Amino acid sequence: MSKRIPLIARDLKRLYTGFLLAAAVLFAVCSVLTQFNVMTLIANGGAFWAFITEDFLPPALPKASRIPGVLSSVVVTLALAMSSTTVAAVLAFFVSLFGSEKVSPFPRLAKAVRGFATFLRNIPALVWAFILFSSLGIGTGVGFVALCVTSFAFMVRAFVETMEDVSQDCVESLQAVGASFPQRVAQAILPSCLSGFLSWFLYCVEVNIRASTIVGMVGGGGVGLTLFSYIKSFQYDVALSIILLIAAMVIVVDQITAKLRRELLK
Amino acid sequence: MEPILKFEHVSKHYPNGVHALKDVSFEMAEGEFISVIGPSGSGKSTLLRAVNRLIPISGGTVRLDGQAVSAQRGAPLRRLRRRVGMIFQNYNLVYSLSVLQNVLHGRLGYMSGVNGVLGLYSEADKREALELLGELGLGDFAYNRASDLSGGQKQRVGIARAVMQRPRLLLCDEPIASLDPSSAKTIMDLLRDMTQKRSIACIVNLHQLDVALNYSTRIIGLSQGEIIFDGPPDRLDDATIEKIYGTSRENLMIGGSGDEQKNTADCA
Repeated sequence: MSKRIPLIARDLKRLYTGFLLAAAVLFAVCSVLTQFNVMTLIANGGAFWAFITEDFLPPALPKASRIPGVLSSVVVTLALAMSSTTVAAVLAFFVSLFGSEKVSPFPRLAKAVRGFATFLRNIPALVWAFILFSSLGIGTGVGFVALCVTSFAFMVRAFVETMEDVSQDCVESLQAVGASFPQRVAQAILPSCLSGFLSWFLYCVEVNIRASTIVGMVGGGGVGLTLFSYIKSFQYDVALSIILLIAAMVIVVDQITAKLRRELLK
Repeated sequence: MEPILKFEHVSKHYPNGVHALKDVSFEMAEGEFISVIGPSGSGKSTLLRAVNRLIPISGGTVRLDGQAVSAQRGAPLRRLRRRVGMIFQNYNLVYSLSVLQNVLHGRLGYMSGVNGVLGLYSEADKREALELLGELGLGDFAYNRASDLSGGQKQRVGIARAVMQRPRLLLCDEPIASLDPSSAKTIMDLLRDMTQKRSIACIVNLHQLDVALNYSTRIIGLSQGEIIFDGPPDRLDDATIEKIYGTSRENLMIGGSGDEQKNTADCA
């Protein structure tokens, strides 16, 4: 019998096999470490199901007197996300100018700026919220700062990359003309990167709508806090309608920002 | 007469070990149209960017109108740069701005910081820019976005921007490398006419040997960072060309000369 003709290169095949084996081994090791067992999940499935059907379903409206409060808490969450992203974007723009070797007037500092942003970004918003709540106390203002820090750090990275992609050539030509750094920023970087910046800004608004709900739950106010108070008082059916409300809010905002971003990048 | 541009033993090492320029010296007088030829990686781009310090050199001195460029920083450097126009292979326009705005960028080096940042150009500058666009056949495009133009038109905007600087010297980094043959001819004709009319000295990096022979008053041949040839086009013989490109003349696509026809005849 002649040897079968392989369809892909042998080393590539070996690579795939290796990955599959590694994933299987990793799953086994992690299951042991976390004492996760599929059987327990199935065995306890009944209790979980009962909790869902009896406590959560059907969703119930909060008391009529509380409805305006719930709706205004949704507005607070949206406003928290919008305002923190806007402030963060303005700050991130100025800082990102110094984060790219190709654009910054002090190229040696660029790495430090990017490193600082990466450090801030790698601490999740929730952790920032806890740190700030324990030092500054609970409130929407502190939630604002927590969201601001993470989206600022994220946008610095995103803006630096947008700038390096788009504006290197025209920055060189304005340098040759004898333009100063602020002139290069205003006349070359800003116009050529604006649509890219706005697109990242809208993406960040999307992310922050979700994040502000969570930050709200631990004390930042808004609809997150409302949800948390219903859960704590065991009114799971009301909590479910608030969860649905949050989902609707996120979907609507996602749709709007996605459409705007498509328009921008045309 | 004081030369416009003077290279004195200029050398450049890049951090990656590449030795782009080795002891390059030459002088350039007003009215000269110099073509710099040489294979890729021979140091043509570095040579051009050493003139306005877009790339800082490692040794020697570059003098513009007698002033050492390498010693300048900040505002004095910007004052030197505004007297040197530059044209790029990729045009390097700000594509989201209008053609007129791109042309007016040539004035930024002469403006106060704030006016430049806000784009508050003087009426005289705007009038001059519009006249220049008319002269370059782009009068109807002043308010189009720069991204809407064809390659040849973009390069004409590049020329307008450089001329708006009222430069003493024009640096052209492979200005026709991305253009079709007919736009390339338009651009080269414009470069020659505009620089002659305004008595601007001009240095052009070229890959097209026939263009270099046709347009320049002087040719500099670079190979591995060294000047192999420096003289008028009619003194550039086959032996020198072979030395610059490191291969015999038959292996070069030179174009425009009689050789091409002979070659096709051979093939047939």
